[in-house]
Amino acid sequence: MQKGLLYGLKQSIPIGIGYAPVALTFGILAIQNGLTVWECGLMSMLVFAGASQFIAIQLLGQGATAWVIGFTTLIVNLRHIVMSFSMLRFFPKVGLGKLAIIAYGITDESFVLSSNLLQEISTPEERSKVAIGINSGAYLSWVLFSFVGAYIGNRLVINFSGFDFALLALFIVLTVSTVTKDNLPVYILAGLLAVVLKLLLPGKWYLLISVIAAAAVGSLFKKKKANTLGEERSYES
Amino acid sequence: MNLDIVLIIVVMALVTYGARALPFLLFRNKDMGGFLKSFVELVPVALLAALVIPEFFIAADNRISLINPYLLAGVSTFLFARKLPNLFACVLFGMIAYWCFDKIL
Repeated sequence: MQKGLLYGLKQSIPIGIGYAPVALTFGILAIQNGLTVWECGLMSMLVFAGASQFIAIQLLGQGATAWVIGFTTLIVNLRHIVMSFSMLRFFPKVGLGKLAIIAYGITDESFVLSSNLLQEISTPEERSKVAIGINSGAYLSWVLFSFVGAYIGNRLVINFSGFDFALLALFIVLTVSTVTKDNLPVYILAGLLAVVLKLLLPGKWYLLISVIAAAAVGSLFKKKKANTLGEERSYES
Repeated sequence: MNLDIVLIIVVMALVTYGARALPFLLFRNKDMGGFLKSFVELVPVALLAALVIPEFFIAADNRISLINPYLLAGVSTFLFARKLPNLFACVLFGMIAYWCFDKIL
């Protein structure tokens, strides 16, 4: 059976559950920092990038200028370049229109889920539909719960701390199916780097740097290994 | 809506979408070989590690912590996911496990 938009939407449910409490919190804080319900909702609709939105409302509350906020947003979201660069391999010959829609929904969570699920799907067309489904589910949850948080946030009391763990649980499940004997060293290296860099650097820098460094080291080793194998073969012949 | 705030939101949207769309625009239909190919294939696994591992060992006050509900629920979820690799069931299990450890600790 062909997999499409609906399959992607269904798979995105764990992301939607994980985003809900974060978006609710964002809505509450946005109101506290002087945004209106619609400004809060508009930001979630147009930006759709959690960490940078939290920083932006904090900066707004402090009266920062558009330039400062824009520049900070760029720095925080630079890692999206690496993610969409990595996703391209799934979509050879897919039209620019579809790619433009997929790009809109790339987040840490949708990216790792897509990278995992799209491997199993054979045609680029199908993959693009599934990716759009995953991104849409995540997007709908983020936007909807931002509005809810802004609108009724302060009257809402949630006493289930489990929501704090939803996204992490999703990442752990994906770890089980993504990590292999071959890429385990890269996983360990990235994890170690991330711990050290998170202690040392502000904000989300640790993500960008540890991912680029670990993936680069990993592919250097792979290349070296391939070269030595190649040389051995050429000696034989 | 306040126009200044709308302007700020538009600027944020443009730089964020730019970061998301630029590689699609620049490298569409280009063949990637060798180093680049294995680099982009290793990005997801590296990002997974970078998203997960610090949460297990660094507490909210930016200090190393070895016994915390995140690590305990994380290990439980990992073991559960190896037995039953169903996305939804594992996320549900993880949330309940975290809630329990959070209550106990």
